[in-house]
Amino acid sequence: MISVKKVDNRPLNWLERIYLPEIARGLAVTLRHFFVNLFNPKGMPTVQYPEQQLELPHAAKTRTRHRLKLRADNSPKCVACFMCQTACPAYCIRIEAAEYPDNAVEKYPAVFDIDLARCVMCGMCVEACPEDAIAMDTLEIPGGEQDRARLKLTKEDLLRNLPGEPSVVGAANRLANEYLKSKGGA
Amino acid sequence: MTEFYAANSDLILFAGAAAFKTLVFLNGVMGFTALLTLAERKVSALMQDRIGPNRASLFGLALNGLFHPVADGIKMVMKEDFVPGRAEKLLFTLAPFFALVPVLALFSVIPFGDYVMVFGYQLDLQIADVPLGLFLVLALSGLAIYGVFLGGWSAKNNFALLGALRGAAQMISYEVVLGLTLVGLLMIFGSASLQDIVRAQGRLLFGWLPAWGVVYQPFAFILFLVAAVAENKRTPFDLVEGESEIIGYFMEYSSMRFAAFMFSEFVEIILISMLASTLFFGGWQVPYLYESGFILPGGKALALNHYLVALLQVGAFSAKTVFFSWFLLVVRWTLPRFRFDQLMGLCWKRLLPLALLNILVTGAVMLALGKV
Repeated sequence: MISVKKVDNRPLNWLERIYLPEIARGLAVTLRHFFVNLFNPKGMPTVQYPEQQLELPHAAKTRTRHRLKLRADNSPKCVACFMCQTACPAYCIRIEAAEYPDNAVEKYPAVFDIDLARCVMCGMCVEACPEDAIAMDTLEIPGGEQDRARLKLTKEDLLRNLPGEPSVVGAANRLANEYLKSKGGA
Repeated sequence: MTEFYAANSDLILFAGAAAFKTLVFLNGVMGFTALLTLAERKVSALMQDRIGPNRASLFGLALNGLFHPVADGIKMVMKEDFVPGRAEKLLFTLAPFFALVPVLALFSVIPFGDYVMVFGYQLDLQIADVPLGLFLVLALSGLAIYGVFLGGWSAKNNFALLGALRGAAQMISYEVVLGLTLVGLLMIFGSASLQDIVRAQGRLLFGWLPAWGVVYQPFAFILFLVAAVAENKRTPFDLVEGESEIIGYFMEYSSMRFAAFMFSEFVEIILISMLASTLFFGGWQVPYLYESGFILPGGKALALNHYLVALLQVGAFSAKTVFFSWFLLVVRWTLPRFRFDQLMGLCWKRLLPLALLNILVTGAVMLALGKV
């Protein structure tokens, strides 16, 4: 069903054609805003961004700067499976895999770069990760930089845990848990 | 040499005083212009529920954006000064001067106060009391068209030329209305010297109403304001430049050359405000304030020092100027833009007949009252 909006294009009446009353009406609106904001600047919706930040609304909290989670022994949870790199629509993730010398089961990322200049903050990498290794829950919003190179996050920038982590309990990584158990760690 | 000084001492004193007044008044105007560029952004921001520029800071002191004019100036100087390859270099360089200089020269005839006695020397608070000041105003503001047209033409860019043609058509058309609205005032005050016009507005009508120009000619004031805004090329008459959409006459200009065009626009705002207050709102006159002090209509008198009176008068003139500048900013950010045919129709079909009618009615009333 196509909806039709009828526009009332009636010709202007005499008062409107001499403009002045309508100009006064328009000025009344803008002047009201001017004086209300002049005497009550706190009422304006502006947020002075870097100094003052609003709490992010629900879903937006899971779309902040990336991080790579760590295990209890400070090795990355990531197994370099390339799922996130494949899922990324902006091609901003670059992974180079390497092997542990004493573990034939899984790999680790020797290089894990995220180019924030290209990232669209879609969260597809988090969705794609089978190991729950990448997360976007740091609540940091990537801002502008003077230099393009500084927007490139390397593995060292990404690897970190939030307070309270790591917890082996409930970790989705069965292989990792077995590996840790065989090494005698907890 | 000393004989020369002795023989021409009053002339030298006059020249020195004039140079001093020029220096002080023009510097005041320039400073106010710089603040006006900030005020434009702040006023528009407040009208649109925004805060406006407030980040430029000196030693960590932002003062809610007070240093933005300085930052703008530095930015403009640092930008590349680009001249198109095919441009007429000389005229391309001259055009910004043609836009700025006539406007600045106009401040010489505007009285910003009555007079001050300094060591027994009577210092008129006006740079040049030209007997035909009002005509000088019209003539010099007509010269500003050269800035627009040369700027558009010498860039050798068809879009700039189109903007310049529009600008010339608009400015010449509204020049006519601007001149005709002032004829009524000329008839009433019988003088074209702006200082005489302001002095005449110090009288009282019916014993209580200040005889300001707007009381005699309220209709001419509205026409004057409309024509002056159009002359200034600002919204709702800004389709000469139309910063956001239409391509204007200074599109090939960059750096300080562009800034000169922009600056002249803001200087013109001040000029219009000063002219509006001088011609229609009593200039430096404060109601019921005379040379000796306040004399209220009831007969009560309050004697004031001569310097205090002069200060009050200059303050009143500044306050009126600031008010009209603010009003022009508010108008600019309230109204949408005219179409070009509407612009021309408004000028030739409405304002011009109304201005002529105003002259006719003024003449008829003066004849009926026997004031001719």
